[in-house]
Amino acid sequence: MQIKNGKDFWAGLMFIGFGLAFVLIARNYPMGSAVRMGPAYFPTVLGGMLAVLGAMVFFRAFVSKFNEPLKVFLFRPLLLVGSAVVGAGTYFAESQLKGAPMVQAALAGVSLLLFFGSFGPRSMFLVLLSVVIFGYALKPLGLVLSTVILIALSAVGGHDFRKKEIVILTVVMVLFGVLVFVKGLGLPFNLWPGE
Amino acid sequence: MGDLIHNLSIGFGVAMSLQNLMYCFFGVLLGTLIGVLPGIGPVATIAMLLPVTFNLSPISALIMLAGIYYGAQYGGSTTAILVNLPGESSSVITCLDGYQMARNGRAGPALAIAAMGSFFAGCVATVIIALFAPPLAEVALKFGPAEYFSLMVLGLVGATVLAHGSLVKAIAMTILGLLLGLIGTDVNSGIARFSFGLSELSDGIGFVIVAMGVFGFAEIVTNLEQGESRDVFVNKVTGLMPTWKDLKSSSGAVLRGTALGSMLGILPGGGALLSSFAAYTLEKKIGDTSMFGKGEIRGVAAPEAANNAGAQTSFIPLLTLGIPSNPVMALMIGAMMIQGIAPGPQVMTERPELFWGMIASMWIGNLMLVILNLPLIGMWVKLLTVPYRLLYPSILLFCCVGVYSLSNQPFDVMLTALFGLLGYVFVKLECEPAPLILGFILGPLMEENLRRAMLLSRGDATVFVTKPISGVLLGIALTLLLITLAPAVRKTREEAFVE
Repeated sequence: MQIKNGKDFWAGLMFIGFGLAFVLIARNYPMGSAVRMGPAYFPTVLGGMLAVLGAMVFFRAFVSKFNEPLKVFLFRPLLLVGSAVVGAGTYFAESQLKGAPMVQAALAGVSLLLFFGSFGPRSMFLVLLSVVIFGYALKPLGLVLSTVILIALSAVGGHDFRKKEIVILTVVMVLFGVLVFVKGLGLPFNLWPGE
Repeated sequence: MGDLIHNLSIGFGVAMSLQNLMYCFFGVLLGTLIGVLPGIGPVATIAMLLPVTFNLSPISALIMLAGIYYGAQYGGSTTAILVNLPGESSSVITCLDGYQMARNGRAGPALAIAAMGSFFAGCVATVIIALFAPPLAEVALKFGPAEYFSLMVLGLVGATVLAHGSLVKAIAMTILGLLLGLIGTDVNSGIARFSFGLSELSDGIGFVIVAMGVFGFAEIVTNLEQGESRDVFVNKVTGLMPTWKDLKSSSGAVLRGTALGSMLGILPGGGALLSSFAAYTLEKKIGDTSMFGKGEIRGVAAPEAANNAGAQTSFIPLLTLGIPSNPVMALMIGAMMIQGIAPGPQVMTERPELFWGMIASMWIGNLMLVILNLPLIGMWVKLLTVPYRLLYPSILLFCCVGVYSLSNQPFDVMLTALFGLLGYVFVKLECEPAPLILGFILGPLMEENLRRAMLLSRGDATVFVTKPISGVLLGIALTLLLITLAPAVRKTREEAFVE
């Protein structure tokens, strides 16, 4: 048996994974009957269908007439394992960590960071990281600083980073954000930390 | 007929108020502005601009969103013609001959004919909506849960059949979408499903988050990975006006495109994409075909008219049945829900001013597109020369602010980034995301109607087949699937998408 179509191989695994995950988690909820469907009924049926379709895609990968390499995109399994370990640890140690919400949040953050880092190119990691930081920084740091972080960090992810341009772009976007989002549209953002 | 005029006059009364005219104008302007940016299609544009409409009254918000949609659609055509970069699959066809025209130094006439063809199609489609929506809504009022369920199955099958590439993958993506839509509190039992104990997930995942992640962020990330290669024909946009010969040869194409687009737009799963494909294929079978692919103006006029007609008539299933037929309509449904309107046949009777106001504003929006775009074309072209390395950080800011302002939760932004990652994986694995987003929005509705239908029939699953309307709908869905699986169609479908 030889894998002929890497894309189908991984897509199949992904669908099987999602399908089974939904079926397994749904076991925690009441199933009900066909007449009175419980919360688990529909997801279980759909999850099962998804897993079966995933299996079809998976097996097709071995008989495909297209030749696609197994390596579809950059994948760093070590980081993914690390993310899973830290994530699972944080999840199951919830009762012990009750007293330390900061530690819990930090651990969850590390797990997430590792997860984002385990797929795809560097540019994607930087772009998505800048987005996540923007989301969590907006309230404590204010719109101005978070915009600076977002623009600068995401620009580093591009091919062709030119310092001067990015400085100008950052200034323009900060002004734009303040004038349009806050003054114009009246979105409730504070501009500076602690306002 | 008297009814129609009466209704339309209510509509124009609402839409012509200074305030709504202004929102319509801003919608068209903003939509074109964002839609012109390479690699951003209507879905991402609407998702990005949605927060702008949060503070408006429902009617103004919907008018503005419709304006944004047409603007984005037209902006996408501009990019397709000048840069050969389709923002979304519906303008792929326009690239074929439009870009060739631009290379021959005829970008001006191509852009003008696209605008005029779209306007004509828009006028016709508005009348069609006004004529056909009321009787359809009356039929829809007779729909019970079983009929609704079957209709949704038909819509999902339609979306699946039209997706690119493998049918099995498209079905799997639809089901994954349905499942993701079920995350959150179950209405019947009050249990928070699949929420991992996170309170942020107990209300479910916002559709803007999924759409923005899977369409917006994933697009940026894949663009960055591929690197920049653009060839803009900016200096060659000189004479805008098409010649008399252009007009003569394209008028028939516009007419055929409009007719085809209006019909196909109504189908579940139809809309702009299917319409433009079909119109181009039809045009290639008529008259002198030697110039196709080398800059034939008919090859721009027909698909542009068709995609605009289709884009507009795809509002019919949304407004009358409350069922979105494509991802853009799924976004519109979400926007209506945010405004506290439950889309469906009752909108027309309970909120006539909203319904007819929106229809009237569609026509006004199309008129504004022509007025706005022909003189402003120079500005859009300038925008196209802005390098991507400056564009994408700005787009990211828009997206982030948009997502954050949904409910002021950092968690939403993080979740969008996660969906961006997932979207990247989908692109790499050749899994089309459009069926996923449609499934996502229909998931809870489908479950609810399935439950009700089964309860009413006391667990007898045959009601879906024995009730006439429901049975016919399921029959059509099954036929569609079987046709797609038939070897001959399968082959042409693959060819159509390769082209």
